[in-house]
Amino acid sequence: MSVLEVSNLVKRFDGVLAVDDLSFSVAPGEIFGFLGGNGAGKTTTLRMVLDIIRPTSGNIQVFGSAPGRRNTQAIGFLPEERGLYAGMSAIDTIIYFGRLKGMDTGTARRRGMDLLARFDLADRAKSDIGDMSKGMAQKVQLATSLVNDPELLMLDEPFSGLDPVNQGLLENEILRASERGAAVIFSTHVMQHAERLCDRLLLLKKGSKRFEGTLEEARAALPARLIASAKEDLSRIPGVARAASGDGIEDGWHDWTLYLEPGVPAADVLEHCTANGIALRRWDEHKPSLHDVFVRMVGEDPAGAGKANQEIAA
Amino acid sequence: MNRSASMNGILLVAAREIRQILKMKSFWLTLLILPVAFALGPIFTETLNDDEPTRVAVVDRSGGGAAEALEARFAMEDTQWLLRDLSRYVQRYDLESADPEAPWAQFDRWYTGADIAAFEAAGGLDAALAKIDAVRPEGVPEFEADAPDYAFAPAPAALASAQGDAFGDEARALFDADDDTAPEIVVLIGETYPEDPRIQLFSADQPRGSFVSTMQEVLTVDLRARLLAAQGVSPAEAAAVQSAAPVIAVDTPPPGGGARETLLVRSIVPLALAYILMMSLMLSGSWMLQGSVEERSNKLLESLLACIRPEDLMYGKLLGSLTVGLLMILVWGACAGVAAYATQGAIADLIRPALEPVSSPGIIAAILFFFIAGYILISALFVAIGAMVDSMSEAQGYLMPVLLLILLPITFLIQAILAGNSGWMVQVLTWVPLWTPFTVMARLGMGIEWWEMVGSGILLAVTIVLELVLIGRLFRASLLSTGQKPSLKKIVERFRGTPA
Repeated sequence: MSVLEVSNLVKRFDGVLAVDDLSFSVAPGEIFGFLGGNGAGKTTTLRMVLDIIRPTSGNIQVFGSAPGRRNTQAIGFLPEERGLYAGMSAIDTIIYFGRLKGMDTGTARRRGMDLLARFDLADRAKSDIGDMSKGMAQKVQLATSLVNDPELLMLDEPFSGLDPVNQGLLENEILRASERGAAVIFSTHVMQHAERLCDRLLLLKKGSKRFEGTLEEARAALPARLIASAKEDLSRIPGVARAASGDGIEDGWHDWTLYLEPGVPAADVLEHCTANGIALRRWDEHKPSLHDVFVRMVGEDPAGAGKANQEIAA
Repeated sequence: MNRSASMNGILLVAAREIRQILKMKSFWLTLLILPVAFALGPIFTETLNDDEPTRVAVVDRSGGGAAEALEARFAMEDTQWLLRDLSRYVQRYDLESADPEAPWAQFDRWYTGADIAAFEAAGGLDAALAKIDAVRPEGVPEFEADAPDYAFAPAPAALASAQGDAFGDEARALFDADDDTAPEIVVLIGETYPEDPRIQLFSADQPRGSFVSTMQEVLTVDLRARLLAAQGVSPAEAAAVQSAAPVIAVDTPPPGGGARETLLVRSIVPLALAYILMMSLMLSGSWMLQGSVEERSNKLLESLLACIRPEDLMYGKLLGSLTVGLLMILVWGACAGVAAYATQGAIADLIRPALEPVSSPGIIAAILFFFIAGYILISALFVAIGAMVDSMSEAQGYLMPVLLLILLPITFLIQAILAGNSGWMVQVLTWVPLWTPFTVMARLGMGIEWWEMVGSGILLAVTIVLELVLIGRLFRASLLSTGQKPSLKKIVERFRGTPA
């Protein structure tokens, strides 16, 4: 059974379509990447899952029922814009959120101290948030979302503003949550994190889905590119969309850059060559990166996409 | 969402609000300022009150009885005050049984010369106190007589012998000498008096008007007596002419001090209640507003809203604010109680008539209702402001009109009630829910019809329910929309609950 099931979700703000007929589902133990620029509708979708805002139409099922605060105790959420009460100590903050999620004080304190120890903040447990560095405060906030061992962990742009050490720490927490069976959804426009972590991902542009599937499927959706050296003309091999021959190397050998048709695995082309006695001296396969996929599908650079979309939204 | 989880959330938010406010220095400061001010008040008045009698020297060179007449008159006035004080003391502690016939055992009257003569004839203060001591129960403090206003002493020899301008110089030198025995007022009656009716008065400070007018009165009587004698009128006839005066009968409703005074006393506690409601509202409201602004500017609303419904967050804030307000009033009340106990009933005596209009169970219930309702009504407005602004300075922009709207009519109201006025404005203020709590509480002293109280109370309750529904919608719709200031149209849309 899916932890989260979204079908035909639509959200309109003052005539602006923020989420457009979006459907997807997330299974337990799955790490699900939510990719798109800042105005793509990621945050809006997450807020609807949390029942902070209500959809215009469509259906959301969280643990098999409609969104609402009854799910609070099984959900962990880290918003994109982060902040805590400056005058509250780290451990009190974690306990406060734990109790808001229905935990008792003792359990919340114990789990909170465990998390702070893991985040190397055990000795700062009683420090006020206002006296901490930004990085420390962000770790405390991560702890508030993890304190209840959520079965559904939703992280909105969790890596933004983190230094590399804390980024590593966050990746570990995501993997750890997934290992104990939690469904993890995180949104990002940094493709490397998604590439490293995600089991499946969803590409959003202006509120509508451009792609949903595994990383392999995403890559396969773009034509692969490979460089091969052969004496024959490789451009007429089935599955090759386009081929360009480079300069001759020696004795009639040429370097060919081959662009395959979408969905054609490079292995098929290699098989065809060996089956037809085409001798090859070089075979370099270049898989498209997620970045390439993003640029191709969303039509803009993921890092710059955020800003551009924000301006449109404003 | 089930009810208990919702309640749990509300209580958690309220507890956090309270903790946050209790951590503020400004909370403790304001909490202490009121009792400290009240405690310091009497001390200051004590210091400012000059208990020492003003020393007066009369130099009478005319050889007549003017000096003696002056002295006798001021002594009589002092005795008159003493009798008044003593009778109040006797009345307060129910000590009439000491001597029911004595003038000081009869209250609500202006003591005449005859009373004073009787008092002096019976042995004066010492004799009266001896009788009172005989019946004074344990725990009743002894009577403490105030010092007389003026003490007459013979003029220093240097002054008495000084002539012409030297006299004035000598008097001024005495004033400057900073001597605790030197006279502060010197009256010179010349040798040729009353042919030359000029009297010279030298004073270290501006002399009190009452002193000058009493002196003039005494000397006028003396002067006229001499003039009449010079015209051949016998002293007995002269005295009869001088003492002829119309009899002025004063009729005021009981008890004693007259209706206006009674009204004032009865309105003290109700007015104080209305005032304290206003004060603590302004304080806790602005603290709550600070908290809301912090939540918005620190971007922690989204984390909160993932765990708790916006309505519950709002109720939690209201509950927290209400608790802090009641806590402040409890502390102030406790301070007043301690003060009343510590002063051995002196304040309690003042408070007893003041508490009379507010001491029946029904009235106490009404006060609680209007107090709490007022708190919720106004705090909810602060919540609404808190939901719409991103910074404290932005909040001020909304806050000022709201505060003026609440405060200005109340200022008029308090004045109207102090003037004993229950005209149309007080009526209007009673029935406009924004001012109902303050007006009803303030009117308790003057007396308010029960139907007015119940009617305006129901109207207030209905208004609060409506207000909470509307502001709940506004709160939900406004929480996550940061950046641009909402236009009036937007705000109206949010009130309607247009889905965000």
